[in-house]
Amino acid sequence: MQFKCNQTLPERASHIAIKGPGGKCQRGDGTACFIANNVATTPGDMTERGCTYAGCRGVVGGPVKDAIQLTHGPIGCAFFSWGYRPHLADSDFHMKYTFVTDMNETNIVFGGEKKLLQSIIEANAEFPNAKAVFVYNTCSTALIGDDGRDVAKQAEAIIGKPVVFFECEGFRGVSQSLGHHIGNETIFRQLVGSVEPEGDFSRSINIIGDYNIKNDIRTFEYLFEALGLRIIARFTGNVSVDDLKIMHKAALNIVHCQRSATYIADMMKEKYGTPYINVTLWGMKNMAKALRDTAAFFGLEARAEEVIAREVARIQPYIDAYRQRLQGKRVFIYQGGPRVWHWIELLRELGMETETAATTFGHTDDYEKIFNQIAEGALVIDNPNVPEIEEILTRRRPDLFISGNKERYLAYKLGVPFVNGHTYDTGPYAGFVGMVNFARDIDKALHAPVWNLVHRYARPAPAARYAVHGSEEVES
Amino acid sequence: MTSCLTLQERAVAINPTRSCAPIGAMLANYGIHGAITINHGSQGCATYPRHQMSRHFREPVEVATTSLTEKTTVYGGKQNLLAALKNVWERFHPTMIMVCSTCLSETIGDDIPAIIDEFLDKHPDVKIPILSVKTPSYVGNHTTGFDNFLKEIALNLPDRRKKKGETNGKINIIPGWVNPGDIRELKHMLREMGLHGLWITDYSETLDGGYYNPRPHFPRGGTTVEELRSSSKSLATIALQRYIGGEAARIYERRYNVPAHVLTMPIGLKNTDAFVNTLIEITDHTIPESLEVERARLLDALVDAHMYTTGLRVALYGDPDLLEGLVGLIAEMGMTPAYILTAADNRPWGERMVELTEELGVESEIILKGDLHELHKRIKQRPVDLLIGHSKGRFIAEAENIPLVRVGFPVEDRFGHHRRSIVGYNGAIALVDEITNTIFERRATTIVSNTLIETGVEGPTSVPIALRNGATARG
Repeated sequence: MQFKCNQTLPERASHIAIKGPGGKCQRGDGTACFIANNVATTPGDMTERGCTYAGCRGVVGGPVKDAIQLTHGPIGCAFFSWGYRPHLADSDFHMKYTFVTDMNETNIVFGGEKKLLQSIIEANAEFPNAKAVFVYNTCSTALIGDDGRDVAKQAEAIIGKPVVFFECEGFRGVSQSLGHHIGNETIFRQLVGSVEPEGDFSRSINIIGDYNIKNDIRTFEYLFEALGLRIIARFTGNVSVDDLKIMHKAALNIVHCQRSATYIADMMKEKYGTPYINVTLWGMKNMAKALRDTAAFFGLEARAEEVIAREVARIQPYIDAYRQRLQGKRVFIYQGGPRVWHWIELLRELGMETETAATTFGHTDDYEKIFNQIAEGALVIDNPNVPEIEEILTRRRPDLFISGNKERYLAYKLGVPFVNGHTYDTGPYAGFVGMVNFARDIDKALHAPVWNLVHRYARPAPAARYAVHGSEEVES
Repeated sequence: MTSCLTLQERAVAINPTRSCAPIGAMLANYGIHGAITINHGSQGCATYPRHQMSRHFREPVEVATTSLTEKTTVYGGKQNLLAALKNVWERFHPTMIMVCSTCLSETIGDDIPAIIDEFLDKHPDVKIPILSVKTPSYVGNHTTGFDNFLKEIALNLPDRRKKKGETNGKINIIPGWVNPGDIRELKHMLREMGLHGLWITDYSETLDGGYYNPRPHFPRGGTTVEELRSSSKSLATIALQRYIGGEAARIYERRYNVPAHVLTMPIGLKNTDAFVNTLIEITDHTIPESLEVERARLLDALVDAHMYTTGLRVALYGDPDLLEGLVGLIAEMGMTPAYILTAADNRPWGERMVELTEELGVESEIILKGDLHELHKRIKQRPVDLLIGHSKGRFIAEAENIPLVRVGFPVEDRFGHHRRSIVGYNGAIALVDEITNTIFERRATTIVSNTLIETGVEGPTSVPIALRNGATARG
């Protein structure tokens, strides 16, 4: 597909590909695969990408439920990253509170180290029950050369609990993806393995790369527990600092989000020899496979079959019923990274086919997985921008768009049914049970009477003063 | 009655009430038809505010970013900004481009106006205005970005009058940081008075748009660049917030001889009267029958509500201008704004608020540089009956079981608040209704303390009240 909006942006062609016959992909610039990814965004193209700070504070560090989440920088970074992503836990300190050193002009001129130290001490005094202080560095404090690592060490000695310093300045890297990496590395270096507990850990696992969006863990943790396994830590949904400290004891890591968290699984494998398996915890087949693979590692195959049979018997009738209603719908999925390929199979189970797939910060391995699973003729785009998304929605007219809240209202303005895949409309969507929620939300989105109303009764904008999309004239 | 002024001393801010400058400039720029913002900085500096605005307005919000990375941080962001200007121009053909800076681009010292000049030199076909607004996050707060944007508009866009006394017959109105619903209410008032406003700026439709098929290329509405160019020929400028637009109004006066009227945000009877009187003063129009009726209806609502509202203690938090206006209505309702907390470090405002509250006959603690954690601690020490502010105060409301009436920005956990109005006579009526209904709902479930009877009663604010389950509780 040639994008009209990219006539003046030829470099975007290398980020756009079609899955050709026999699974071969064909890139927009005519060359063979592979799709360009994880490279700097074209300035001014209206990207949907965020920054490294967002990936570190918002995704990896933020869900840790008993750490003080302190941003070292100006107020905005802390304000915008506060409380909107529903990475829930069994307590809500991490959702309710955000801390910031609130750098002002004087601090920028004279340095913010003193203020950082004082802030850590004060924050700890206000919330003495917190188990650690997570300090996130930002653009401005990095540029003025504050030595946050050193301050963190000093502070640690004073308050007597871990002060974890994340060097996740927003200008680093090309997307939030680097922030995930930094979050993984820093937590691994400073927390994991800092306590050696006694006990038998031979039947224990960590769930890596789940952030407990809208309580996702309630849909799958009981299944692993039903196998007789103990979950030590989740990385990082509903996790405490103490859990992170002992997560190296687990016998097996199961890695769910393989973009944002494979890093820590790799580091644990290297340092502690902990093996890991990749799983997908969304969808009937994938969830069953995750349980089977996990069980195979521990020799619990029979138990797994029992658990799977019980759950499938309970859930499959709902899925079958929804498939009747959703059959044949064409979907455009645009997610951060892995959810795109996690969900291709899930949507097929509901009778739907992914026709367009896009990721914000996917790497080569993500795109390989997408191309392996997606149907021939499907369009795949890396780091799409607003005009491209608009063009897909208007020219390809998918039946359903699965994306995040920033894109929701664009889809709505164009009359395309939408489900929020980032933070879920209702949720949770994971596991067997969650898939019913997902299917129900998709059904609601597709069959809401409002679409009939807008498609049949909406009128053009009344004033001639303003140009209509597609026409060349802009009078005002 | 004596009010007091406190400056919060803590270094760390816990649950701030404010965000940072770029979002203010982005919001204001949405009030210009066909204008596009380029944020010169890290991607997050554009994406976070976009996301925040989307949650508040429930509209698509589009902002371009120059996507600065490590390399550009070392060598400067000039090439990225040049590329962004080119790409935005070629793909969108906007009517105006506003480039706002960030901590990053300000700290590395990119000379944005010079880069814009270089772009215009290279692209003689580009005739639209390209404005540079300084919005580093470490100076001021989100209102600073809005205010700086308005100052740049006032300095750069208007044409000089060709001859003395040349006029467009309009009145420049700078509403400040308000909701689309507020702008529509102000427009209604001017229409009723038979006056023409020139709105600087007007996002009443661009950020609360309709469903049209086909979707317009740019959102419908907004003040046009041509209108802004003629804003130097207006009869007067009325800024409805002192710290957002007050300075811009004075620029119009100094540069273009357009008289400036800087007023308190028109919330409540007296503040709205001041606005209407100013319009009358400027134009010699009389107050129309329809506005007299609205005004009388507000007075009637205040009378009807007074037995439910008088004597209640309220905590207010948010931006200085909003608070200054709100205090007027709160006092008219007989309530005591016990805590008035703002994040700004604005001593002159604080001192004026002390005087204002004393004039209004209420006793308040005005807290500067405050955050919501500080407010929470105060409320724990001495509770209030009602919280008024944006959504982020919900954590206090939940923890202390105190109702929260949502005003200001952002309101992200309720639907349609951006369509509501709290200004003018109608806005005040709506707010009186909402506050009173909140109290009713409260009364039906748990308690509303009347602090007038507090004296001599054991406990923080109120008498023990029987709960439905038979237990007793205190407010």
